[in-house]
Amino acid sequence: MNNSAILSVRNLTLEYQTRSGFLKQFTHKAIDNVSFEVQKGEVFGVLGRNGSGKSSLLKVLAGTIQPDSGEVICPPNTTRSLLALGLGFNNNLSGRDNALISCLLNGYSKQESQPIIEQVKAFAELGKFFEQPVKTYSAGMRSRLGFATAIFTQVDIMLIDETLSVGDNAFKLKAEAALQEKINNCDQTIIFVSHSIHQIKKLCQRCLWLEKGKAKQLGTTNSVMKHYLDNKQEAVQI
Amino acid sequence: MHFFQYFSLIHVMARMKLKSKANTLLLSYVWWVLEPLLFVLMFYFVFKFLLHRGREDFLIFLIIGKIPFLWFSKSVTSAANSLIENRGLINQRPIPKFVFPLVNVHEAAYQQLVTFAVLISFVIFNGYHDFGLWWQLIPLIFLQYLLICGLSSVFTLFVTYAPDFRMIVSMFMMGMMFCSGIFWSIGDIADPQLQKMILLFNPLAVIIDGYRQVLMHGQLLNWMTFAPALFISLGLILTGFGGLKKFDSLLTRRVFM
Repeated sequence: MNNSAILSVRNLTLEYQTRSGFLKQFTHKAIDNVSFEVQKGEVFGVLGRNGSGKSSLLKVLAGTIQPDSGEVICPPNTTRSLLALGLGFNNNLSGRDNALISCLLNGYSKQESQPIIEQVKAFAELGKFFEQPVKTYSAGMRSRLGFATAIFTQVDIMLIDETLSVGDNAFKLKAEAALQEKINNCDQTIIFVSHSIHQIKKLCQRCLWLEKGKAKQLGTTNSVMKHYLDNKQEAVQI
Repeated sequence: MHFFQYFSLIHVMARMKLKSKANTLLLSYVWWVLEPLLFVLMFYFVFKFLLHRGREDFLIFLIIGKIPFLWFSKSVTSAANSLIENRGLINQRPIPKFVFPLVNVHEAAYQQLVTFAVLISFVIFNGYHDFGLWWQLIPLIFLQYLLICGLSSVFTLFVTYAPDFRMIVSMFMMGMMFCSGIFWSIGDIADPQLQKMILLFNPLAVIIDGYRQVLMHGQLLNWMTFAPALFISLGLILTGFGGLKKFDSLLTRRVFM
């Protein structure tokens, strides 16, 4: 594995300001002074309960939202893409057209996209539905399309938000296998947020545990997981 | 992603949007022609039959005003909401903000090509055919496209910052409909000072007047009268697209709040 950092996060803080009434605003600190590094080719997990700041962190890492303070440093021309359920699809367009738009957004030309789209079609197992509007898809079919589009378009850092938790068991295993293959062969860097402790254990080498926006622990999956599970049990007992 | 690649992206996304909209309607692409015709007929009914206003060639006069206005208002209104509409994509990866209003502008422009073809056939059918000077339509259409791009980018900026501006956009469109000489001609204004002001400060009125001069009267246009419209359009483009670039991260946050 190449030991250079592809992503380093320093003292990251993100605040949300939401309008709550006439000229009133509600401020909420979603990420509070978080720092870590991700190596090239690493699979890095982010753990935490609902509202702990996981999804906000992924948005900042994807480069879509700028933090209030701190920085996210990547080597120049690093491509990043966030894969989350229900994002980025036009419901009135077919799976094929949506896959084409995704390819174009990742910088491929129309010609270069055609073979990728065929791979997506085969992997997503959508059959005739691939030519139908996405609004006719079930939740599982959408997630299959989203996952397939992301895995076949080459991005340097793939950010995955909960996606693998939807879909039937057979597809889940297939998706995990495809990810594993990418990790082994292509030096793919993946940052992975999931509720499934099992998936994080299986795929990630290191983890960050977020609690109310703060980094509670950073380390190897086994050590972080041990404390996380203890803490979770305590919470259940209370 | 290379700067010019974005233009191919804009083109594909605009075409896809047209397709997706047509797919949701029973009459699909027929609406491209039907919608402007219904608008014109409605106006014709009100002005000709209810108010007994207008001259012999009022229908053709009205069509030449209303169809370019519909292009203008539809593009700007849809572009203004483009960032909010595309929050899913904006959430996913960093894409420069200028892409989204331009997708909506191009979507309307492609549709307009068909509508313009219908308009021109209608004009020919009514016995106007000074074809020799019709090439002047090309720079006129291009000028209107620049105006649409400029205003769309400025309104995208405002509406994304505060959705309250949507009300202003619809009011502005209503104002433009009354002030741009759609059912009257700039030549009808008695006060020469006022006429001059409209020609100077309302680019859309000048452009619509230009379409009529070419299609109905077969005149050679005095291009100097279009200079203010060009400057206003370029100014709006610089402000709007400059603002979209400068406030990129602020706008992303606004889209999610």
